[in-house]
Amino acid sequence: MRLLRHDLHALAGAYALDAIDRGAERERFTRHMNGCPTCVGEVRGFREVATAMAFAATLEPPPALRAEVLAAVARTRQLPPEIRTHARPRRTRTWVPWVPWLSGAIATAGIVIAVLFGFAQAHTQQELNQARAQSQSLAAIEARTMQELDQARNQNQLLAAIMAAPHVRVLSQRSTKGGVAVVLLASVRHQLIVTTTGLPALPAGKVYQLWLIGKTRTVSAGLLPAARSGQTAPVVASGLLAGDKLGLTVEPAPGTTHPTTNPIIALTV
Amino acid sequence: MNPSDSDASRFRSTSTDRRGERDLDDLLVHVARGDQVAFEAIYDRLAGPVYGVVRRVLRDPSQSEEVTQEVLLEVWRSAARFDPAMGGAATWVLTIAHRRAIDRVRASTAAAGREQRNAEVQTPRDEVAEAVEASLDRERVRRCLDALTEIQRESITLAYYGGYSYRQVADLLKVTLGAIKTRIRDGLIRMRDCLGVS
Repeated sequence: MRLLRHDLHALAGAYALDAIDRGAERERFTRHMNGCPTCVGEVRGFREVATAMAFAATLEPPPALRAEVLAAVARTRQLPPEIRTHARPRRTRTWVPWVPWLSGAIATAGIVIAVLFGFAQAHTQQELNQARAQSQSLAAIEARTMQELDQARNQNQLLAAIMAAPHVRVLSQRSTKGGVAVVLLASVRHQLIVTTTGLPALPAGKVYQLWLIGKTRTVSAGLLPAARSGQTAPVVASGLLAGDKLGLTVEPAPGTTHPTTNPIIALTV
Repeated sequence: MNPSDSDASRFRSTSTDRRGERDLDDLLVHVARGDQVAFEAIYDRLAGPVYGVVRRVLRDPSQSEEVTQEVLLEVWRSAARFDPAMGGAATWVLTIAHRRAIDRVRASTAAAGREQRNAEVQTPRDEVAEAVEASLDRERVRRCLDALTEIQRESITLAYYGGYSYRQVADLLKVTLGAIKTRIRDGLIRMRDCLGVS
């Protein structure tokens, strides 16, 4: 195992120069990088070397290219940022103005991070709505989110590792009993982080239990801890498979091996 | 001030000047919001290196032009996905450029493409060399490359400028796979220190 890791680590150079063929080997290294901050730093530095090599090879492109590229740009739609959020199920919403939708998504990310790390000024759903209504500048929200993310990164390695995984998505869904679950999804790591806000308090002897529900198996993804000021601390669930749904049910304490009630949240992740 | 200090500052004052990088990062943020003027500025700063590196890998001028156009259009399309945490804007753009060129090579190598590419190596080389003769970056990189062992230098240039996979490099240089991985990595570490990359 040690040998294998060392072997993988040696690939950082080849990886940075795009000298690993697409396929299993490159994927293995990409996965390895997720848990290896040293590799990430190394690849980053090597890419800067590569950038210097590219600058050293600078060659004037044919003059006509400029006009061609600019014309192509003028007729090409841009991709939105990668942060996504799910609409509530059963109710089709049409997201026409994508900018408010996006700032919603980013604000939601801000909420997850704030909740995760128990910031005193944890943002609430209300604040999210406010942010939408005020149509705050995207850059300001983004900057704040990045800043919070940076703080968060320093605070907790596991959570940070999950958040730093490539293609992390933020999803949120309202439960049928009120309250919202916010899920940070790192498919690459088969992990997710769940926090909730405003779920109704349960009578003694009952707990909220999370489930990963797939075609071939349903497994417990852990219990929600007791809420503090309406919020539950982050729960990390592993073993996520493609096509899984995340379910939340009310179960008798201390939890069950199979869901015995209807989910109050079922979110396709 | 020792020589490597002055080397480092010279390097920074040219291509990856801190302020220059920041400018590029800012420009990219504006591009992400659909600012075409900002995109023109990016074009003027980076089309040369993009075309240069693509041409190094592909050799063929018309294919290189095509790929350069693809790369720059990709920059426009996905500007919102640029993540400054992973490096500066120039690095982001040039990583896309190199990767696209490599994809093009690997897609066509299965056929007779490889031989043809090799045959073409001689002709455009002088042209390439001439065009960048005056470049400070070129001198800097050349000098840092010269400071490497021969096998480090060859493996890095074959991989980056030649567009070969490390397995192909190992085969060309008659070295084991394990050795080539290590040579590339060690060489890049020395290059990084020589260039003053943090």
